[in-house]
Amino acid sequence: MNTLKINYKSIYYPPGGILMWIIIFLELITFGMALLAFVYYGKEQPELFHQSRLQLNTTFGVINTIFLLTSGFFMANSVLEFKNNNRLKSSLYFKLTMLGGLLFLILKSVEYYHKMESGITPETNVFFAFYWLLTAFHLIHVIMGLVILIWTNYGMTKKNSDTGIDDIEACAAFWHMCDLIWLLLFPVLYLIF
Amino acid sequence: MKKTLFITYGLLIVLTVSTALISNTMSVSRILIILIMGLSVLKFLLVSFEFMDLKKAHSFWKVSLILVLGLIILGIVV
Repeated sequence: MNTLKINYKSIYYPPGGILMWIIIFLELITFGMALLAFVYYGKEQPELFHQSRLQLNTTFGVINTIFLLTSGFFMANSVLEFKNNNRLKSSLYFKLTMLGGLLFLILKSVEYYHKMESGITPETNVFFAFYWLLTAFHLIHVIMGLVILIWTNYGMTKKNSDTGIDDIEACAAFWHMCDLIWLLLFPVLYLIF
Repeated sequence: MKKTLFITYGLLIVLTVSTALISNTMSVSRILIILIMGLSVLKFLLVSFEFMDLKKAHSFWKVSLILVLGLIILGIVV
């Protein structure tokens, strides 16, 4: 579909496409179940979880949330500009989106480095087993999202581009999914124990 | 840049900073958990409905997302 007019009210075409939304639901359910298991273990060992949580850097978590939300904001603007047939501006917002993702990756790497330097690994305790598993799994999604963004941006800027609004929206939906997952991970891992 | 997107972004930042401030000033309690998760639900809905344009989608997708989110949050809070 290479048109700027999509009937979003159709049950078969939510913004981003039905396939992407099935993926989003599967991801949310997977991460959600892991978070429920994490909370279950947290209720079993509240002191261990509290002490472990205090070893996490909340400021890093907040800044990373802001990086992802900012990149999500630029992504939404990119879709809007593409719909207005302004590919140049859309591509600029795409690049700003990627910058947000890249900053997230850098700060997460710094956080991981500090943890490893302090000898905190997935084997440390059940809290950190979940911490590493959930954040690393999320990080893989961000990296995948960045690859998709780079590829789509390349496609939309080349001459005789056949990139349509459905491609841009699917790409945006995947990127926003990373935001949604992080918005659940951040409070549960960094704040509530 | 659309005004609603800009307002949504501003709200998201305010909610994120508020969440961090609340968690730093209050000791861990049931009220704190409900408050933090409540603010997270707001952020989640703002991203999905405004940034992802879910507000334009068929009710099926809106209801399904709220249902899945509700179940996850309920499991965390209860």
